[in-house]
Amino acid sequence: MAVRTIDVRERIMARNDELAEQVRDRLNASHVPALNLVSSPGAGKTLLLERTLADLGHELVLSVITGDVQTQNDADRLARHTDRLVQAVITAGACHLDARQILTALDAIDLGATDLLFIENVGNLVCPASWDLGENAKVVLFSVTEGEDKPVKYPKMFQQARTVVLTKLDLLPHVPFRVERAVEYCRQVNPALEFLSTSALLPGGLEEWYAFLWAQVRSKQPPRTVR
Amino acid sequence: MHELGLALEVCRMAEERLGSDALASVRAIGIEVGDDAGIEVGNFQFCLETLLDEPPFRGARPLILRRPGPVLRLAYLEVDDGRPDD
Repeated sequence: MAVRTIDVRERIMARNDELAEQVRDRLNASHVPALNLVSSPGAGKTLLLERTLADLGHELVLSVITGDVQTQNDADRLARHTDRLVQAVITAGACHLDARQILTALDAIDLGATDLLFIENVGNLVCPASWDLGENAKVVLFSVTEGEDKPVKYPKMFQQARTVVLTKLDLLPHVPFRVERAVEYCRQVNPALEFLSTSALLPGGLEEWYAFLWAQVRSKQPPRTVR
Repeated sequence: MHELGLALEVCRMAEERLGSDALASVRAIGIEVGDDAGIEVGNFQFCLETLLDEPPFRGARPLILRRPGPVLRLAYLEVDDGRPDD
């Protein structure tokens, strides 16, 4: 039988990237900044968002899409801190969110009444680095209970990110983590990274994070709500 | 799991290009995978083989073509067109 070769030469991520552009267009049309929170499992994404919703929710209209392999536990935790619908995406085995899931989740979010959108990705420092969700920036949470060399072990994630949020700084006295060494590893893979130091448990431990969030909102539009 | 998602996307692209009725005639799929693409090649190959052994495919071979850089691309499809050789 005759075998013919069909030249394709199409990027495998092309369809996802098309959908990510649709997400980006919808967010831009409503002047909503979107942050894609990524980290290894247990770095503190959900607790950071719980505190953020509780502390800023009366000043900013915050929407959240959470991604988990199974359960909507994170969405349930977050829903206790907001009147807004928290969109849970259960990936049913997939190790990352993709743009199609975000586009679908946006249908249930009133972007016209949203100041800032958080996407809490699946805890994983590998796969989410490859999937554009239409976000403005990837924000990596890096906890002091991890190895300082995470950035060089998972370089793509730190190359793709714009900001590193160091979390659980309240535990620093109890762990052998050296912040300056971790920052050095981060800069080895991405010299442009900015760093925020946080503790979700200490009073005032999220001030840098909140200042960063306000800057994201102000960069997109004058705040809608009374400040 | 990441590789499985990508392998499924390769199958979707083949279907988009050929139509579902023609997938049984695919003999090979060439995929360019860059060294910096973030792909575990052995796992990707295994996922592709698993999917291509099942209908609507009929045992098409995945051929991974290593490249430098971050490229990740469906390069070509080899299809048996059902006609005798010339």
